[in-house]
Amino acid sequence: MSTLASPSLPLAPLSLLQIETQFRDRIWRGDISGSAPDLVISSGFNELDKALPGGGWSPCSLTELLLPAEGLGEIRLLSPSLERITRKGRNILLVSPPHIPYMPAWENLNIDSRRIVMIRVDSPIERLWVLEQGIKSAAFGAIIGWLPGISQPMTRKLQIIVRTAASLVFLFRPASAQFEPSAAPLRILLGSVRQPMLSVRLLKRRGSPIDLPIYIPLSARPFPSFMTSSATLAHA
Amino acid sequence: MLWIALHCPTLSLDWIERRFPVALIPAMAATIRKGNQVYIRQANKPAQQQGVAAHQPLATALSLFPDLVVVEHDPHEEMKALREAAYAAFRFTPHVVMQGSGLITEVSASLKLFGGLKKLCRLLNQAVATQGLQLCVGIAPTAKGAWLLAQSAPLKTVINGAGSRFRSLLDSLPIHLLASAQPYLEVIRGIGCKTLADLRQLPRGGLARRFGPDLLIELDRACGDLPDPQQWLEVPEYFQQKTELMSQVESVELIWVPVQRMIGQMCGWLSLRHAAVLEFSFILHHEYSLRQPHKSTPLHIKLSEQSDDAEHLMLLLRERLGRMEIVAPVCGLELIANQITAGTNPHLELFPTSQSEATSLNRFIEKVSSRLGPQAITGLNVIPDHRPECSQRFRPLEMSRESDASCRKAAPLASMCSSVRPAWLMEAPLELKVQRHQPVYGSPLKLIAGPERIEAGWWDDAPVARDYFIAENTLGQLLWIYREHNSAAGNNGNGWYLQGLFG
Repeated sequence: MSTLASPSLPLAPLSLLQIETQFRDRIWRGDISGSAPDLVISSGFNELDKALPGGGWSPCSLTELLLPAEGLGEIRLLSPSLERITRKGRNILLVSPPHIPYMPAWENLNIDSRRIVMIRVDSPIERLWVLEQGIKSAAFGAIIGWLPGISQPMTRKLQIIVRTAASLVFLFRPASAQFEPSAAPLRILLGSVRQPMLSVRLLKRRGSPIDLPIYIPLSARPFPSFMTSSATLAHA
Repeated sequence: MLWIALHCPTLSLDWIERRFPVALIPAMAATIRKGNQVYIRQANKPAQQQGVAAHQPLATALSLFPDLVVVEHDPHEEMKALREAAYAAFRFTPHVVMQGSGLITEVSASLKLFGGLKKLCRLLNQAVATQGLQLCVGIAPTAKGAWLLAQSAPLKTVINGAGSRFRSLLDSLPIHLLASAQPYLEVIRGIGCKTLADLRQLPRGGLARRFGPDLLIELDRACGDLPDPQQWLEVPEYFQQKTELMSQVESVELIWVPVQRMIGQMCGWLSLRHAAVLEFSFILHHEYSLRQPHKSTPLHIKLSEQSDDAEHLMLLLRERLGRMEIVAPVCGLELIANQITAGTNPHLELFPTSQSEATSLNRFIEKVSSRLGPQAITGLNVIPDHRPECSQRFRPLEMSRESDASCRKAAPLASMCSSVRPAWLMEAPLELKVQRHQPVYGSPLKLIAGPERIEAGWWDDAPVARDYFIAENTLGQLLWIYREHNSAAGNNGNGWYLQGLFG
């Protein structure tokens, strides 16, 4: 602990408790999960909330979601927080989604479709520009961007802007990006085990790392009861 | 009362220099005719470096530097430049007087809003200097006093005569600054008067007899002993400003400075009217020639929300100009406020409200659509139709007003579709490969739910008859696939299509 005490401090080394009270906001301990100072928005899944720093999605940090392919349940994972945001009357910005968001399904997840603003641009530079503008404006409660080819300096730039924002910022990237460095404080690798379970591995977070993936039972809302009954292929 | 006077000693050159791009200003001199002779009235920096100086005969100046650009003294153009600068000053006070080669503004009511005299003076100076004038500034409790102080100040400096220092500052000023003393300067110097203090010590009766009553009146008004009514500058009810450029400009970067000035003028005019602009036009005028038929390129900018914020308007204009191609060299610019409305000041809110959130959404929409085009930003409308491809429509967000937002709020939630639908829809159904009677996407698909029959659209030209299944592949993707069910044609074939993904 003596390494922490700078020469200007009194000779008697401060106890750990004293140091912690003195620099409460400026140091975080590596062994517990870091806390976010701001209002977090619960992810809606208990297991995930326990693993996320601060107990939910944090508005002041960039969240990277690494996805091997669309259709694993990524929207269902975000839907409880998105639902809460639209219910508060705030808007959601989608920047270049890979497919057309199908609003009847989003409505089924209780997300108000009138609160969705979608932007379709192709060039990566324009996408980044739109993301930046969205983060800087106070208009959105959540911003979701699809940026396959983003580089590390770009993520750093985004993360710096996000620090002052009041919206959740999610960035979807391909799973291959897990081996590239990124400035996002929270990186999550999504993978499917068996529908409707989603495996969530926190590659990077503030606080101690966890290696084991978390298994999240996705809401069965889009699937009525016949989900479990195995369908038979009449004409196959 | 508190007055700030802005004196522009180099106005006879500034009005034309401001029409050049900064890097291209040539050596110039303004001339004035005295009897038969033409004299240099003022020379700019590059000309001074060549040895051209004020009061030289023109012939001497041309022999020193033959390439000198000679501008005749043009009071009309000077007034025009000053008037444009006054528009910019309106942002800080509605009380502006045009006086000779400068402006006098009354600012006592604006002190608090702009954070004190020092700050206000700096902002005002900056706003007017941005219009391309070089200024010296005087501050005093009387209009005449401020004007005299400004005239005595060196270029780009401020003499602050507010408070107790005013009398002593005024007393030390030289007499030649007084307009009514001009015919008698020789005599006054002859009787040993140099400063205003000397003049004021003389008996008033004698002064009035020798030099007329005007000198005494001016002196008393400067000291504040006599009322000094002012005629405020009045501006027309519409805004239309035109700027001529002295060079043929072909790049957007070079018209940037004049554009900034014009926007500054418009915002000053707007704040004088307590208004905000809803729609404005920016017109690039091209020089007429037979080879190119374009006389002008108009640019109409509609705002989704009124604004009187110079920075915001500049940003919109910059995005639009950046996308535009300049078809021919530009020789003039014009800015017109087409539609204005009573303005509000959104900066006075303490906490962000839904109103301010709607404002920032509109600003965002404006920003994005001015850069990427209005088709890039959309909302999605749910339409009651069973066919997936017909059940939603992109809704342009270009002009969503506050009233719109509130009626959107009031509208009932769109018809809830209770059956299973995927979060992602393909742009067009994707035909899947079939291996051993099994559709393949990445890997052979396992059907886990279905079929659900959708048969609709017989009333228009796009009828569908499909059996939908939910399928899963080994990667864990959930797919929404269908098979054409076409009993009439009898080809109940193997065509499997991917329509959506369960995100």
